[in-house]
Amino acid sequence: MKRLPLAFLILAFSGFLAWSVALRQALLFLVGIGLGAVLAGARFGFTTGWRRLIEQRDPSGVLAQLVLLALAAAVSMPLLAAYPTDLGAALGPPSVSLIVGAFVFGACMQVADGCGSGTLYKAGLGIPLNMAILPLFAIGSFLGSATLDRWLALGALPPYGLVTHFGAPVALLLTLAGLFLVGFGVVRWAGRSAPLWNRKLLWGAVLLAALAVLNLVIAGQPWGIVYGFGLWAAKIATAAHLFDPSANAFWSEPVNAATLAQSVFLDVTSITNIGILAGALWIAAGQSSAAAKPMNGQQWLVGLVAGLLLGYSSRLAFGCNIGAMVSGISTGSVHGWIWVPMAFLGSLIGVRVRRRYAF
Amino acid sequence: MSFRFLSAVFWIAFAGFLAWDWAHSVPVNVRAEPPLIAVGSGVAPSGGHCASTF
Repeated sequence: MKRLPLAFLILAFSGFLAWSVALRQALLFLVGIGLGAVLAGARFGFTTGWRRLIEQRDPSGVLAQLVLLALAAAVSMPLLAAYPTDLGAALGPPSVSLIVGAFVFGACMQVADGCGSGTLYKAGLGIPLNMAILPLFAIGSFLGSATLDRWLALGALPPYGLVTHFGAPVALLLTLAGLFLVGFGVVRWAGRSAPLWNRKLLWGAVLLAALAVLNLVIAGQPWGIVYGFGLWAAKIATAAHLFDPSANAFWSEPVNAATLAQSVFLDVTSITNIGILAGALWIAAGQSSAAAKPMNGQQWLVGLVAGLLLGYSSRLAFGCNIGAMVSGISTGSVHGWIWVPMAFLGSLIGVRVRRRYAF
Repeated sequence: MSFRFLSAVFWIAFAGFLAWDWAHSVPVNVRAEPPLIAVGSGVAPSGGHCASTF
């Protein structure tokens, strides 16, 4: 489809949301469009950035991600402190579940060549593996949420928010210091093997930070992805009488039970996810068809299993690279700082698996 | 199978899911619309999030 008719379709859908659902949801859909367009347009891949650092000692992708985190934190933390009732941080509990989930997620995102946002925007771009992975990601996310109580029983501490405990200035200072230390380590490790900065990725980081803050300001909660995936699969499983949400600890909780009963168009995460897909589709519409590398049966099988595990582990880890890393760290959640090293360790394994199967 | 065909299947399935969900979910009460902008609304966020436990 060409860009112009697609733009009309997108506008028509926004109008439908504004008229039949809520103005807020129409706005959030447009924020999602922006996120998808920036992710796809700048090829802002969290997975690729980590892989290029590991395999080629190219720090440009990871440094752009650190800029994104710093900018988002610099605006989000003062806002969270100023509007404690209206806005919520992405607070996940430090737990066994988080450690296991982040490690597995980090490994699988390298094999599947896409994290939460990566799978969405690459599916929107029409890349076959990511389109096939998306429904499996959703099923995995649902299974993860449905078994989360058992994982939490293995050991968990209460969520720890830096803004709540220290106030915005100290929380921001601690966060910026942490990001600087990570950046320093990355630059030292990379040496002079590649340029430090990539202009396109830096612009991507600035725009993504602005859109992530807009998401927080409009929705009252930070940008997330995998909750929506789990919700979609939970709806289908419930409708097919394969799952009884009232007998499940996670889905019987009032917020989740209400979200399950209402349209996905009212769910904040779902609507930005739909926007990301549409934004990436709009970018793809202006380009020649993506020439994805052909894959053999074994690569498909490994990729699809990794996709299912991505979904499952992202729920155990209380978010993917967006919900746990970008939103967690930028809103002062300690769980984001645990997620990153565990996912990076997993990525070290994941790039080797990727090489083993010649992806 | 061409990429274009796979892409068409993906989008038709996704649009079908959204249409099915719209038809089978509790109707939206537009009179109970959430605030347009959360900041300054005085209303606490009520949606689910990836980081939340329950």
